[in-house]
Amino acid sequence: MSAAAREMGPGEWREQTSSLGMWVFLATEVMFFGAVFLAYLYLRTQYPDAVSEASRHTHEWMGTMNTAILLTSSFSMALAVRFSQIAKRQTVQRLLWVTAALGAAFLALKLTEYTMEWHEGLVPGLHFTIARNARVTQLFFFLYFLATGVHAVHLAIGVATVLWMSWRLRKPPFPDWRADEIDVLGLYWHFVDAIWIFLYPLFYLVSLQA
Amino acid sequence: MNSPPPVRVYAVTWAALMLLLVATFVAAHLRLGPFNPVVALAIAVAKVVLVALFFMHLKRSSALIVLFALVGLFALAILFGLSGADYATRSIHPAPWVAPAGY
Amino acid sequence: MSVIAATGQPSYLEEGFSLWSWITTRDHKRIAILYMVAITAFFFIGGAAAAMIRLELVTPRGDLVTADTYNKLFTVHGVVMVWFFLIPSIPATLGNFLIPLMIGAREVAFPRLNILSWYIYVLGGIFVIYTLIAGGVDTGWTFYTPFSTLFSNTHVVLAVMGVFVVGFSSILTGLNFIVTVHRMRAPGMTWFRMPLFVWANYATSIIMVLATPVLAMTLVLLALERVLRVGIFDPALGGDPLLFQHLFWFYSHPAVYIMVLPAMGVVSEIITCFARKRIFGYKFMCYAILGIAGFGFLVWGHHMFVSGQSMYAGMVFSALSFMVAVPSAIKVFNWTATLYKGSIAFTAPMLYALGFVGLFTVGGMTGLYLAAIALDVHLTDTYFVIAHFHYIMVGGSVMAYLGGIHYWWPKVTGRMYNEAWGRVAALIIFAGFNLTFFPQYILGYLGMPRRYHEYPPEFQVLNILSSAGASILAVGYLLPLVYLGWSLFKGPHAPPNPWDARGLEWKTSSPPPKDNFVETPAVDPVPYSYSPEVKPA
Repeated sequence: MSAAAREMGPGEWREQTSSLGMWVFLATEVMFFGAVFLAYLYLRTQYPDAVSEASRHTHEWMGTMNTAILLTSSFSMALAVRFSQIAKRQTVQRLLWVTAALGAAFLALKLTEYTMEWHEGLVPGLHFTIARNARVTQLFFFLYFLATGVHAVHLAIGVATVLWMSWRLRKPPFPDWRADEIDVLGLYWHFVDAIWIFLYPLFYLVSLQA
Repeated sequence: MNSPPPVRVYAVTWAALMLLLVATFVAAHLRLGPFNPVVALAIAVAKVVLVALFFMHLKRSSALIVLFALVGLFALAILFGLSGADYATRSIHPAPWVAPAGY
Repeated sequence: MSVIAATGQPSYLEEGFSLWSWITTRDHKRIAILYMVAITAFFFIGGAAAAMIRLELVTPRGDLVTADTYNKLFTVHGVVMVWFFLIPSIPATLGNFLIPLMIGAREVAFPRLNILSWYIYVLGGIFVIYTLIAGGVDTGWTFYTPFSTLFSNTHVVLAVMGVFVVGFSSILTGLNFIVTVHRMRAPGMTWFRMPLFVWANYATSIIMVLATPVLAMTLVLLALERVLRVGIFDPALGGDPLLFQHLFWFYSHPAVYIMVLPAMGVVSEIITCFARKRIFGYKFMCYAILGIAGFGFLVWGHHMFVSGQSMYAGMVFSALSFMVAVPSAIKVFNWTATLYKGSIAFTAPMLYALGFVGLFTVGGMTGLYLAAIALDVHLTDTYFVIAHFHYIMVGGSVMAYLGGIHYWWPKVTGRMYNEAWGRVAALIIFAGFNLTFFPQYILGYLGMPRRYHEYPPEFQVLNILSSAGASILAVGYLLPLVYLGWSLFKGPHAPPNPWDARGLEWKTSSPPPKDNFVETPAVDPVPYSYSPEVKPA
């Protein structure tokens, strides 16, 4: 038994170990997205007016809706983590269903948005038809699709894992290490939410002033 | 971990997040000049802090975990800061450069 | 080879003999062996490319390979050696094997993640080998844009995929080590009782976790730009090729410290053991490790002095680069002070460690030349740079890796290697190394650029010396393969602590049982208690 385990007791040690692992992983994720944010910062500071103009092609209502959906999904995820700590298996399971459903709704809306953007000719390299301010608009949407696409992949992984977890909770028992797993899953979910919280103003809210 | 906080804490956090969302949406439609991006990012930071403190229960986590939550941001600050030191003091001249044939 | 330890427990090697038992293992010691086999294979692939390069450079004309093939050779050499040998070398093999043993743990924090990281490494390796079969890649290991995105007509995307994938293997290894060191230490194993090898790998893990993802995303940006022909690095669209360099070197400079910090850890263990003296300035060594890891993040711009980066940024990066020399020098002074008045045994591991100290010092000092902007303008992209970083990576990291392999060989395999052959190989490698790379300093100073398959005839003498050195070096690298391999079957059985060394890894049998220790070992209150504390008069 390690010194930390002796100090904390096995239950807390396990919980602290898994959440430390997840936080280290999230530090990695911060840097993974960080590279895109730096590219964005370059574009925005180098061509402020052109980026403003390019951003008007985004669908701010859909982005706002999705932000609300994702924030709410984090709420239900946080509640799921809370109830897992007092071993309310059925409540946790229902909350996980809600979380996954909201995540899926986000993805569905995002996909609709991508389809619209395809038809509007906003996809750089594949279907791009905007003539005005074409160069920076292409780069803006290059970063938009990359950042939101990588985010969507993360969210899809989150939805799949939450569904799998809630399926495993369909019948008792509810061992106490299950709560650690749900806690770690929650950290991941909230992180994906936090990334979107930054993507939303950076891509949708640049230039809405009349 | 000790007994979890009451549901009310989570509900208030969620309500605050939704309020901030409305605030950022409204602020984006106002003419604030250079303060538009500042306000938008400040609200985003506020939202993430709420999510981290209450949903990710950083408020109740050990110092070590808080440290690892911050270390990524610290490294990101280095990346932005020192790259920024270059961009802030370099004038970028568009290259007299032509794409290769068939491009 | 039934080694029943004094504990009466079967060793980790006897826990199953089938291939299946190896590829499904969660034992950190077996995973270390899996890594050792894989990286050794890649070392010889990268080495073969280097041999071709040196062979081509024997004559001034390009008469062995075409310019295109030459470009592919140095690219393969760089990609394989950096990402498939040096980055995982010490952490993934010796680190995996030793960190739990040294802190008195039974396993790493996440054993399943550990074996997953090996599979990810293998997957990345398959991409790179497929790239080779498909025809190679010619961008250089740095993948600079816009050449890699718009012009190169080789398999850039495949190669980049391989590097992207293998990055996650080092991220997972780093994550595992960080959590292991925080959570798995035995009672009594406080931070300032930990071996410096563990400190070094901990600091390395922090770099792996924070820097590698930046490279991963940068390579995604690069690959997308190449496929879509639209991207943020394209100056024709208003993008910036220097942004690629910032992002690339944000990883790739700290990557140098991923390679050299664990090497410093190995050398610290060996020197204190064979000088029979407590390591000098233990706490300073710990702080220096953290200092090098920290400063390592602040200096990447010194790779970009002539790139068109702002002059002011260049000055900042230059000043910061000089500061890395401070913790590095502390370490060299402390190794030297440890040797002072020690009773030194010139065993094979010690020869490698002493070689490391000398070669690292030469490599580090010439690094200062390159950190000085005015001199760097003259030396950028010459053989001076090649010689400099080979002194750090080959003279430093590879020497330390081999030293560590010899030092812990009895622990890992339960067998003693042939000491005489070990010393001969160490001396051959030291001599061959210097003959290979010292002439390159002169060549570079005289102005020979890197990455050309032809050169003016007046450079030929120095190039022949270098190539002759490379052939000696090749012999030196093949020798251990032979006598270490031989020792596996015919070597005498190793006692638990053949070097009379301190550290918990020596307090269990050689090779250790599956769970490392029969009972949790008692931790020395003072690390490296080789000699009684010398009190100042």
